[in-house]
Amino acid sequence: MGEHYGYRDAWPRDPQTPIVAAFHEAIRKLAEERFEASGKSWEEAVHDRTLQLRREDFEKIEAGLLATGYRFEASATVTYEEAPEKHKPLADLEDSGEQEIDEAGRRIVGSGDNVFATPQDLEGIARHVHTVDKVMEWLTEGVPEETIAVIDDCGGTLTAPILGEFKAVVCMGGTVRSHLGILTREYNVPCLMNATIDGLRDGSRIAVEYSRPAADAYADEEKAAAQRSRIYELGTA
Amino acid sequence: MPADHTYQALLRANQLQRRFSESWVWGLRTRTVQESKLYPVSAYIAGSYLNAFYRWPELLRRVGERISPEDIGERARQGGIAVNTLMAGMLVQFYTGGRQILIDMGLIRPSDAVDDVVYVYDFVERLLAAYHRNNHHNLPIDCNMKNQIHSARETERLESEALGVAPGDRLHTAFSSFLPAASTYGFLAQCECRLGFFNHGPYRTPDGNQMLVRDLLSIGEGDLPWMDGIAAGIPYANLTATVIMKDTDFYIVDDFGSFEAAPAYDNDNLVAVGLYTSDFLTDGYVPVHMDNADDLADHLEELTEKLHTATSETWQMMAGWTRTQMLEAGLLVYSGVGRELAHLAGVYEQEDWWEVDDQARRFYPLLNDEYGNGLIWEMVDQLSLTSQQWSPHHIERFRDGRPEMWTPIPYSVLADEEWTATVGPMSTGGTDLPPKTGLWQTSEGKLGLEEANRRAREFEPPSWKHRFYDEDVFAKHHPGDPRLTA
Repeated sequence: MGEHYGYRDAWPRDPQTPIVAAFHEAIRKLAEERFEASGKSWEEAVHDRTLQLRREDFEKIEAGLLATGYRFEASATVTYEEAPEKHKPLADLEDSGEQEIDEAGRRIVGSGDNVFATPQDLEGIARHVHTVDKVMEWLTEGVPEETIAVIDDCGGTLTAPILGEFKAVVCMGGTVRSHLGILTREYNVPCLMNATIDGLRDGSRIAVEYSRPAADAYADEEKAAAQRSRIYELGTA
Repeated sequence: MPADHTYQALLRANQLQRRFSESWVWGLRTRTVQESKLYPVSAYIAGSYLNAFYRWPELLRRVGERISPEDIGERARQGGIAVNTLMAGMLVQFYTGGRQILIDMGLIRPSDAVDDVVYVYDFVERLLAAYHRNNHHNLPIDCNMKNQIHSARETERLESEALGVAPGDRLHTAFSSFLPAASTYGFLAQCECRLGFFNHGPYRTPDGNQMLVRDLLSIGEGDLPWMDGIAAGIPYANLTATVIMKDTDFYIVDDFGSFEAAPAYDNDNLVAVGLYTSDFLTDGYVPVHMDNADDLADHLEELTEKLHTATSETWQMMAGWTRTQMLEAGLLVYSGVGRELAHLAGVYEQEDWWEVDDQARRFYPLLNDEYGNGLIWEMVDQLSLTSQQWSPHHIERFRDGRPEMWTPIPYSVLADEEWTATVGPMSTGGTDLPPKTGLWQTSEGKLGLEEANRRAREFEPPSWKHRFYDEDVFAKHHPGDPRLTA
């Protein structure tokens, strides 16, 4: 089937993401121009593959956005590594320098949604796991003892071969129902999902409130905020 | 010329579409965009939507020419194969997702491919009706998130064969190690897709416990071309683990086959377990080393070790892939969700399911991670694409907003609205992934594709002639009837 053109909408809305807006608007415009230039009726055009947008057209649309200075955000490390010129650098751990201190004098460096409750809170060494190279290193040499893996990946594949060897996990994405949440529950590896981190230093000793009740995935905003488990930095390891 | 469909057919198609879209709105509200540092997940999901739109109508018609959706559903409900509520839902959702992307891009209109849309929806509705026929719902969301498939006959069998366990005993320990190993392997082998797992139930046991049936799918050498060799030591296409738990209420077993329990799933509450295999050549479940607890524990320990090794090898292989290979692998796993249908029909061809259609491949330059994340988030989480906005008067079921996930077929095609019947025949396809060279693991050993298809076409399960007795109404009113246990 070919394509026919001219998106019409009585009740439109602008997309929330600039990249979807840019791509879809460019595609609609190009498709309409091509159809108008063809001189064909819709019925003639609809099965005419010569009128279709091609890979080269989409490459031009991508190039057009990049030419404005726009750079894409990468999720997978391979995406950035293969085309760094098109992407923003991968984000590192955030540090606003303005962390709260609790009544016991501990720096609060994050919080998250607990996947399941453990008998007591846990302490360990926070180690940021965000690259294939790091996983390969630990797959070869073993995961260091006491590792609480800080992962910015709610999937279950990056750390798949070593997941069961972590003492615990803090994941800066997803929900308690994400793949990593499911897997850590299966492994009985304590885990916070949807964690926000601020000032957590790679290699520092931390305590995490894994003993809090499992987070309710259906909680409203107020309850969701109240059920967060905190992460405390206890010092450098 | 008006579309060659009845008003009734379009009403039915649009109602089914809405039920499925609401299923996803509910199911996805507790999930976020699935990002991974290894895989460009959302980008490949977007690609799989497009591939589904261009390929599935023809592939499903090929299946439908050999086996009816009702017969597929009937076969599927007797065992643990990759035909289930999750798979059927994805047939609707991914296909319709591709349609919605193209509508939003202005490349097609809601009045396009009407025959295809009606065919795909009709196929899925009929399959699900048979699959869930003992329960008489099509989706868990229709019945308070219970996903009961089996009749009392099957449930009683699984309960009676389960082997008792207690924390600390060997089988309990082996089983508790096996499931996470299998889950990790499943997520990885299927490139972060969740199609390797499916749970159904719960089923109440006479002593007040609950049984969950947990399928582990496509674990041996088979369709996934990259698992040739790596999965060679895993002698099953699929496994099904039955778990009976005390003091545990599986209060949600949803349309994705995910469950939630109160208190949370805890291996300490396991009281009995079972293990089975099934595939397109079995007559339902075949017990796996179920003679006694030690035998099963031995086997689970051996399997767990093999799964760990295979996971490690798979990961190291995938870590060396290019982004295009990762994109295509995930894309093809999801757009290959219907491939078990082709196996059951005996019409499976590797290139049908493991090549990306050229019509979908042309979109690759757009499928960067950010666009993938943005598009999927907008389309199935926020419902914020302009094509998803309804009138200001409209109120959506769960969120009171005006958007709906999918665009129905307009009834104006029954009058004078311009329309098209189909996306047309599949285009050629391609992939950067390594080709399939190995055999297919089945319950009848490792088979070449031609032989597997031949056996599938000729296979009729011995219990097939008694299939209409396998339901609770007959069982209730015919106690002791030998046809119940035939």
